[in-house]
Amino acid sequence: ENRESMLNSKSNRLTETLEEANVIFGGVCHTREAILDAQLLVIASNIGKEKANELHSEMSAFDSTAFAEDLLTFMGINRTEVEETDGSEDVPGGFLPSGAWQTMGEEASKYFRRAPTFHYMMGSFKSEPPVPKQRIERQKKASRGKAERAMPAQLKRMEESHQEATEKEVERILRILQTHFENDPDAPISFFDFVIDPNSFARTVENMFHVSFLIRDGLAEIKLDEDGLPIIEPTKPSREGEEDSRAGARNQVVISLDQREWK
Amino acid sequence: QVSELVQLLLVKDQKKMPIKRSDILKYVITREYKDYYSEIVNRAGRTLQQVFGLQLVEIDTKCRSYILINNLPRAEGEYLCRDKEKEKMGLLLVILSFIFMKGNSVKDSALWEFLHLLRVYPGKQHRVFGDVRKLVMDEFVRQKYLETTQIPLTDPAEFKFQWGPRAEKETSKKDVLNFVAKIQGKDPTFWASQYSEAVATT
Repeated sequence: ENRESMLNSKSNRLTETLEEANVIFGGVCHTREAILDAQLLVIASNIGKEKANELHSEMSAFDSTAFAEDLLTFMGINRTEVEETDGSEDVPGGFLPSGAWQTMGEEASKYFRRAPTFHYMMGSFKSEPPVPKQRIERQKKASRGKAERAMPAQLKRMEESHQEATEKEVERILRILQTHFENDPDAPISFFDFVIDPNSFARTVENMFHVSFLIRDGLAEIKLDEDGLPIIEPTKPSREGEEDSRAGARNQVVISLDQREWK
Repeated sequence: QVSELVQLLLVKDQKKMPIKRSDILKYVITREYKDYYSEIVNRAGRTLQQVFGLQLVEIDTKCRSYILINNLPRAEGEYLCRDKEKEKMGLLLVILSFIFMKGNSVKDSALWEFLHLLRVYPGKQHRVFGDVRKLVMDEFVRQKYLETTQIPLTDPAEFKFQWGPRAEKETSKKDVLNFVAKIQGKDPTFWASQYSEAVATT
């Protein structure tokens, strides 16, 4: 108790307490009281030592508050802004930047002869990777098996639909051709106008592919007009029978069209 | 054997905890070589000095534990030090300066009061240092930078802080005084008694 007041170099309280203890000790007859007295003496001597220390440092007064202020300045404190923290009423305002202690540390490392910590440059061997790899491989094989089984079934379905798609497309194109001719029976369409898709080269090729089916099946025919440009028209139904009997009436034409020509 | 010991010392030094003789006996110097312990340790020390520029220092003669310190003159430029370590060194230097300037021994309450001024609070998680109390009282003490002793018969227990053996070896009172002088923009001789003490111990 009352440590602080005793520590005050100007006070004599410590001496007074010791003197008082001396007097009381005269009346002691129980061990317990003697122990208390001993404890008191230990505390008193500690306080005495502290007092002596205080005297010592007063010779070259070190102002820790000023030191703290200077440290904050060194760390780059911004005193114009006010920090919004709770419970720091006794701390003067100012904002410590986030790199404050970094700055301090940079300076500090100059004062220590610290052994750099030892690290392997390339890292250490780890014995773990092989095990997970095996597991992954096994899993992959397992899943692949399943996928393959699923594949054939899928493929079959796809191929079927592919065929259907082609037939459907061919029919569609035939219908378009026929519709056009219904509207204007005597005007065959320029082949190129018919097949070319101005926006897609791939579509163009597809169109030509489908048209070739029509021709093969005798559902349409391609002729050359006055300018030598191919035109296409659906074959008239009546002619179908005759087509079959006419041998060699069909010609094979290879048309090449590349992207540049298409453009 | 010697090179194994050198390796052990280097690896163990990573955490900056002192390396104990018991560890050395456990990992490196097996029973048949036990008699050669001193010789092996000496040779390891020489290797460390010659190859790495590190000094092997025995800090505790009772239980024979060792630390490694850097024996090379301080070079200018980047230090191979991680940011986290740097920041801790910053705090440590501040604490050591405070302790020295206050007469080599301070009460824990006085230290915390001082750190308050620097926005470092023992009870509050610090943005940079985290649990500061743990850092100061546990880590720095175990690394032998600080020494803490309980003041007898205090309730609740009070402690006093002094420089630890590693601090004594890795830095000096003179260096620390120079640091304080630099921060405060004064000449080291301004604090006469600290100055004379610093000069006396170099």
